[in-house]
Amino acid sequence: MRGMWIFSQKEMLELVRSYKLAWIPVVFIILGIMQPLTTYYMPEILKASGNVPPALLESYEMPGAAATMAQALGQYGTMGLLVLVLAGMNSLSGERYSGTAELVLVRPVSMISIVFAKWVAQLILLAVCLGFGAAVAAYYTGQLIGDLSWMLVIFATGIYGLWLLCIQSLTLLFSAFLRGPVAAFMALLSAAALSLLNSFLPNWLEWTPASLPAYSAQLLTEGSKSMGSALTGSLVSAGLLIILCIIGASLITGRKKLID
Amino acid sequence: MDEINWSLLWPLLALQVLLAVIGLFSLRRTEATRGPKWLWVFILIFGNIIGSIAYFVFGRKDI
Repeated sequence: MRGMWIFSQKEMLELVRSYKLAWIPVVFIILGIMQPLTTYYMPEILKASGNVPPALLESYEMPGAAATMAQALGQYGTMGLLVLVLAGMNSLSGERYSGTAELVLVRPVSMISIVFAKWVAQLILLAVCLGFGAAVAAYYTGQLIGDLSWMLVIFATGIYGLWLLCIQSLTLLFSAFLRGPVAAFMALLSAAALSLLNSFLPNWLEWTPASLPAYSAQLLTEGSKSMGSALTGSLVSAGLLIILCIIGASLITGRKKLID
Repeated sequence: MDEINWSLLWPLLALQVLLAVIGLFSLRRTEATRGPKWLWVFILIFGNIIGSIAYFVFGRKDI
């Protein structure tokens, strides 16, 4: 346990020293501001772009507050996810290339404590980014478009965050045996494949973590009454996926020979 | 909606400037980057949010 605490402190220090704890939350806040703003000013933007027929401008209907908030969370699923994966891609492989792995691995420390500390750092980064980002997005949506239920926003953000955490855990797993950019590519590829499969076969795969973004949007727009047992299935499978990723990453890191 | 509500827009601009300033600060402190440093200064100042993200993801050697 003591090892895990020390490694967590080291990971937090690294988040601060590499400026990740500064620039990634700023990016999330910018994304959170931009979505409600573009929704609100969409008629102006269309008018300024010139070649939009007036009939189309007339028919533009402002999406509701809940839909706008769901779109803002959707931004975190694309741009935000990309940034988080790129930031986490070197977390295990970087230790090998920078040479710190040799220094650590010759000591009697358990692999799981190293990997778990890295995962905790990723979780803290995600919580900070999503907390600030979603709060600002909800504030702007409330100011510009309409009232939101704070409770629903918090739960919907949590559900969305779990999906992002799944992909971060996959990134950690891939970075245990692949070079950073390849690990990021594989993690994004599996995220895309999961979501794609999920949109093709929504009825069969409603229990997978990839359905979490849809549940998050549904919770915002339709309220908590419409949520069924499928959400529970998704939450459980997401938890299992994360645990498997952490265990897998620590097994691979422990076994694999170091690359020169 | 005729006039732009600046009280809602300035935080967005301020955050973009903040992002570029964090980038420039880290650029000053770091010893080596991928690609020439002057180019990253240019990208950070004129590259908007995408430029700043590009610097943090690809420019820094110790990401």
